[in-house]
Amino acid sequence: MPNDWLVILPLLSLAAGGTAVFGAGAFWRSRPRELLFALSLITVAAAGAAVVLVAPQAASFSGVLDLGSYSRFFNFLFLAITGLTLLFVRHYARERGFAGDELYGLLLFAALGMALLAVARHWLIFFLGLELLSLSLYVLIAIRKGDAGSNEAGVKYFILGAVASAFLTFGIALLYAATGSLDIGASLGAELQPGALPLLMAALSLILVGVGFKISLVPFHLWTPDVYQGAPAPVTAFLSAGSKVALFAALLRFSLDLGPAAWSYALPAIWVLAVLTMVVGNITALRQTQVKRLLAYSSVAQMGYLLMALVAVKEGGAPALMFFLAVYAVMDLGAFGIVGTLSGTAADRDALENYRGLGYSQPWRAAVLAVCLISLAGLPPTAGFMGKLVLFKVVLQAHYRVLPVIGILTVIISIYYYIKVVIALYLQPRAAGTAVPRAEPSGVLAVAVILVLLLWLGLLPGSVLNLVSRIAG
Amino acid sequence: MIVPFSHVLILAGILFVLGAVCALARRNLIMILIGVEVMLNAAGLALIGAALKWRQLEGQIFVIFIMAVAAAEVAVGLALIVYSQRRTGTLEADRFNLLKG
Repeated sequence: MPNDWLVILPLLSLAAGGTAVFGAGAFWRSRPRELLFALSLITVAAAGAAVVLVAPQAASFSGVLDLGSYSRFFNFLFLAITGLTLLFVRHYARERGFAGDELYGLLLFAALGMALLAVARHWLIFFLGLELLSLSLYVLIAIRKGDAGSNEAGVKYFILGAVASAFLTFGIALLYAATGSLDIGASLGAELQPGALPLLMAALSLILVGVGFKISLVPFHLWTPDVYQGAPAPVTAFLSAGSKVALFAALLRFSLDLGPAAWSYALPAIWVLAVLTMVVGNITALRQTQVKRLLAYSSVAQMGYLLMALVAVKEGGAPALMFFLAVYAVMDLGAFGIVGTLSGTAADRDALENYRGLGYSQPWRAAVLAVCLISLAGLPPTAGFMGKLVLFKVVLQAHYRVLPVIGILTVIISIYYYIKVVIALYLQPRAAGTAVPRAEPSGVLAVAVILVLLLWLGLLPGSVLNLVSRIAG
Repeated sequence: MIVPFSHVLILAGILFVLGAVCALARRNLIMILIGVEVMLNAAGLALIGAALKWRQLEGQIFVIFIMAVAAAEVAVGLALIVYSQRRTGTLEADRFNLLKG
């Protein structure tokens, strides 16, 4: 069908843009300075326009891709994340000397990988999307040549990411062996053969372990703080917002596809992982004195809340999860991105003492950072409050009692460490630390967009909530 | 198929466990990488066996993609490892202890 090619236009434009950036980097030595940045931004804008304008089509390319409204929502989200990351990274990368084609090209290919994860209806597409995303991220994390932390973070993420991918691949192989189909929906929803139950359970647990590594569920989260701390701050923003949202979008779809019998086996595992992730993530964050590590544990904890709502996914929890994923992406991107704009060139601003008094010397950026933190803590009037509210609502509606109580207790604990940073920003005298770099236009634009989104989603969430319930319903 | 499918699965399982033990217990970065490769090949073996069992080509095509991706992974991984070996002069994973808290 000729129509099919139009439907994958977002994916095609990302691939073409990435290739063009690499081509320009390799063959056009005397290019204008901002060419690669402009090219990537145009690519993201073009792909975004294609996502919005091309009519969704549920099954295309003989059912291998699904570009229906669910994928459309996530593709738009991924492109927004990539666009904001580009704005955050432009100045940061140029000052530190890594603003080459590898940075921009790999960002675009990582975005393509995320989009493939969301559209995949076949395990092969899922595998390729995951590897495209992971391989780009390995290089992006280690992109600061000569920086020991960046290199160490890259090696750590590579080793654990490669092991996780191998687990996932073996899980897919076992699933294929048990069900005889590589179609995601058909293989997960297959009727249980009497003899195939152990095989199917092994396959599902391996897939859960592999995905759990990538979205850093406890006990597979140990790489998270190290990698988030070592990677350059805008790359951390991209990693924590983009790759986690993409993997969770896939996990959400797997849960919806899973047949009732298999789902009844998966539920207790999800329940236990959710409790562990919420409790361990929040408690460990309490004693962090470095802001990037603190935010890393906070992002672990946020995944716990998402996993908590995943137990209610069969009782209409999907819209709440989609809404919170969008909110989570904005606030995590904002927090890490602003840490990046506040950092000097030698190292990222990490120690909590170095944030003292920034509320007065850098009022705008500190204020938006504070809004991001308040939103992560789940306090009104920000987007995080709305997101947590809908999450807890669906869990309660699905008649879970213990799980939301544990969740709310950990939310209360978490307020302490978020407020600790806000107090450092506003209520402590300015420390004689490193100088703060001046604000530059693209960073200011990104920070402003983050602020608007957080307040808009917090105060007037109706339109987005309607959108997600229409998509899921 | 001459060999029963369960034997293929058992062999793939053994290979996978061996690879996982190598990847998780060894401290040398190159050995970890080899362990990951063994795990991926175990997955490939299971896929080929399953493709024969279900009489489909899909599983075998998947294996070709796994081989290509594994090669890309090794290329990126070796570049990272060579670079850190030049920087620190060691391949021991335990020496990567800069980031902690």
